[in-house]
Amino acid sequence: MQGKSMIVDTSLCTACRGCQVACKQWHGLPGTKTKQTGTYQNPPDLSADTYKLVRFAEGRKEDGKPYWHFFSDSCRHCLDPGCMAGDQNNSIVQDKRTGAVLYTQGTRKLNYRAVREGCPYNIPRQDPRSKVLCKCDMCIDRLRDNMVPACVQACPTGALHFGDRRRILHKVALRVVELKKHYPKARALNPQDVRVVYIVTDDPDTYFELAEA
Amino acid sequence: MPKFTRRQFLGASGALAGGLALSSLGIPLGALQAHARDLSKAGRIKTARTTISTCYYCSVSCGLLCSTDQKTGQIINIEGDPDHPISEGSLCAKGAAMFQMSDHNQHRLAKVLYRRPFGTEWEVKDWDWAVEKMARNIKSVRDQDFMYKNAQGQVVNRLETIGHMGSSKVDNEECWLITTMARALGLVHIDHQARV
Repeated sequence: MQGKSMIVDTSLCTACRGCQVACKQWHGLPGTKTKQTGTYQNPPDLSADTYKLVRFAEGRKEDGKPYWHFFSDSCRHCLDPGCMAGDQNNSIVQDKRTGAVLYTQGTRKLNYRAVREGCPYNIPRQDPRSKVLCKCDMCIDRLRDNMVPACVQACPTGALHFGDRRRILHKVALRVVELKKHYPKARALNPQDVRVVYIVTDDPDTYFELAEA
Repeated sequence: MPKFTRRQFLGASGALAGGLALSSLGIPLGALQAHARDLSKAGRIKTARTTISTCYYCSVSCGLLCSTDQKTGQIINIEGDPDHPISEGSLCAKGAAMFQMSDHNQHRLAKVLYRRPFGTEWEVKDWDWAVEKMARNIKSVRDQDFMYKNAQGQVVNRLETIGHMGSSKVDNEECWLITTMARALGLVHIDHQARV
């Protein structure tokens, strides 16, 4: 099964957060009350009401020049999901056609800590009221109607791409070759293990400590 | 025919469509419940009336697709129009939040809230009271501080003691109206968060 895949090309991302808003809009998720913490990253973390979050990271490179990296974080839809390891009752499923990893209502009976620790990217979150585990569902309902995920459709800079996995991996390879001309550190993160492939131009740690597994 | 409320109707049709779709996708039917609510949205959009519109927040004017439920006449989704020659379906954070401007958003204020000087609580007031109050304040400040000539004796006709802070949620035409009104009053401190 090849299924579907997505590119998150951080070299094109301007952190407008259109993807983040489009995700909330489509899923009908409420806003989160937050406080000004000195960063544009808002809300501060993923939650049961936030499946997609643009992370902002700033600092200085070795040569002293400042960097400001944007990382549109969400579920990677692993080919072999770590979160499914402890799932005994089939409450986490992989869609046959697309390969999307989906959390069902049955996840409320799972051990939240074990599921979260099984994820190398720290993605799953628990709804405090219903105890159901939540994360990105690749807009599985939209895919059924031949629409692309809401975040991909919204992206104004073309940083997000969605399509058949074979073609997406080909695109990733071409893009990395192109980027390497200007950014020697450019590479794709875990392209063989995940469906949501991030392309970075710097060390992954400078984007987010869990950017790469 | 029994009368359905909107919620019952959507619940029933959504669950049905969801069940069919899920079984064809190969998802165990135990998963049906979880996605019935989500699937109902894609199903509803398929049968909804689609209207083409334009985002009004900036001069890029990205294309929008508005889905209106045929039964209820309510907007159920707004997203980018993939066929639009300029935006090709994309939207920025403001455009992507367009749905919030529909009456579907229960967080929008429906009444005037007033906090008196040094007050700590919001008071609910009616529009007549608020418009009267604003007009009175503007008039008295303008009468008092309007500057016909500056220190050099040049005609300036300006009012420096009132500023206007625009909203990030007004459209191009509203911006024009606000600017025109502010300039007519002689305001020079006019600001507005027109874009993201």
